[in-house]
Amino acid sequence: MTRRAPIAAAVAVVAAIGAAGWNAAAQQATDVESLTFLGKTVTAAQLVLGQEDYAANCASCHGANLEGQPDWRRRNENGRMPAPPHDANGHTWHHADRQLFTITKLGVSAIVPGYESDMPAFEGILSDDEIVAVLAFIKSTWPERERGFQAEVTANDEGGS
Amino acid sequence: MMNEHSRTGSPLGRRQALAMLGGVVLSGLSPARWAHAGGAVASALAFDGGALVVAGAQVWRHDLSGGASATFPTPRAHIRALACHPARTGRLFAALEGGGLDRSDDGGRTWHPASGGLPMPQVTAVATAAGAPDTVYAAVAGDGLWRSEDAGENWSFVMDRPWIADAEREVLTIASVNLASGMGGIWIYAGTERGLTRVPDCFCRWQDVVAGNAMDALVAGTPPAPETPLPEGEPVLALTSAMAAPERLAAALPSGLWASSDSGVNWAHRSGHVAPALAAHPTEPSRIAAITADEVILSHDSGASWAALPTT
Repeated sequence: MTRRAPIAAAVAVVAAIGAAGWNAAAQQATDVESLTFLGKTVTAAQLVLGQEDYAANCASCHGANLEGQPDWRRRNENGRMPAPPHDANGHTWHHADRQLFTITKLGVSAIVPGYESDMPAFEGILSDDEIVAVLAFIKSTWPERERGFQAEVTANDEGGS
Repeated sequence: MMNEHSRTGSPLGRRQALAMLGGVVLSGLSPARWAHAGGAVASALAFDGGALVVAGAQVWRHDLSGGASATFPTPRAHIRALACHPARTGRLFAALEGGGLDRSDDGGRTWHPASGGLPMPQVTAVATAAGAPDTVYAAVAGDGLWRSEDAGENWSFVMDRPWIADAEREVLTIASVNLASGMGGIWIYAGTERGLTRVPDCFCRWQDVVAGNAMDALVAGTPPAPETPLPEGEPVLALTSAMAAPERLAAALPSGLWASSDSGVNWAHRSGHVAPALAAHPTEPSRIAAITADEVILSHDSGASWAALPTT
């Protein structure tokens, strides 16, 4: 089996769910067998759950195709930054697994004290397992280069994979 | 999404109006006159190979090994800021008064435009990336931070201006500081009209300068406040970091010259000189040059003592 074969399998599973609007990112879905989050292998079932939870909780701001809000590098009138993309155009893949989990669960201010963001802390809204699933789903959409970079950042961070 | 390059030729909008206002604010932060080098007013400097390049109304190149100095004509306009990289000796980037950016590949003798796609408002600061000699950052007044990854041929917008004390603040000076950000890259420090800030070179968010990287802050919870930060609210007019010792920074404020040996967390006041430009030697971090109102000065001990350079 080639390295890409499991990717196709993962894409097939995700595609079978039939989520509308899931197109470009799914094309770049990656090897589910090699995908980890916080050191644990991600399953296809987690990706399905992650996609559902992403659509329900994240897509309204970060975009159905993970594209972020328009002009996301330009600050809003209230001084806060728009929601960035989670695809390869954004910077999510520069953050270690632990950072991503903490930001999602506790908010950006958990990483940058005092930082004001429109993104809520998802503690109490999503379970830890659901947060992991969402982030695993986002990771699964990254091209190989970005996944490799993020894996290195995570490996350099204690507690990462 | 708006085409970043479309900003360059668009009608006067909020950003352009802010840029014009920014220019007024910035001019208010500058003294009426600065030192002369080679017979002309100077406002920018950089170490390039074995030379100190001082620029303004013209370019003055001083051989630090005791050799001759030379004076060259300015590019299209007065030079406001300079940047270079030790891996590209002879290549200089110059932010021009009134807007635009030029590049020299021969140590300042000749210049050509290097601002493809860069908006026209004043470039207030320019720096090369410590780990990528062909990557250049430019801060544009009223706008934000732009990046070129091909030595100035093409530019793209990467980050809005820092948000400090409930407002966007002008970037007066930037320095690529070769310290791990914890996000797979390094930091870009910025001196603003309201103090010091920094952003990882993935450009996720401006943040305060604290000990360690972002993950350290996470592990520690709320990081301890610096014991001796820079004076609160003062503009940081110039900032420099030596590539050989990136944890050592020097900053110029209206209150004088300051030095840090812990990546900009704590600072010590080193002299009362007021300087619009600073440069640290890339391989000899104790060697720092500054332009003051009267002279070009050089320190060999991280700013503890200074001597004037003969510039005529």
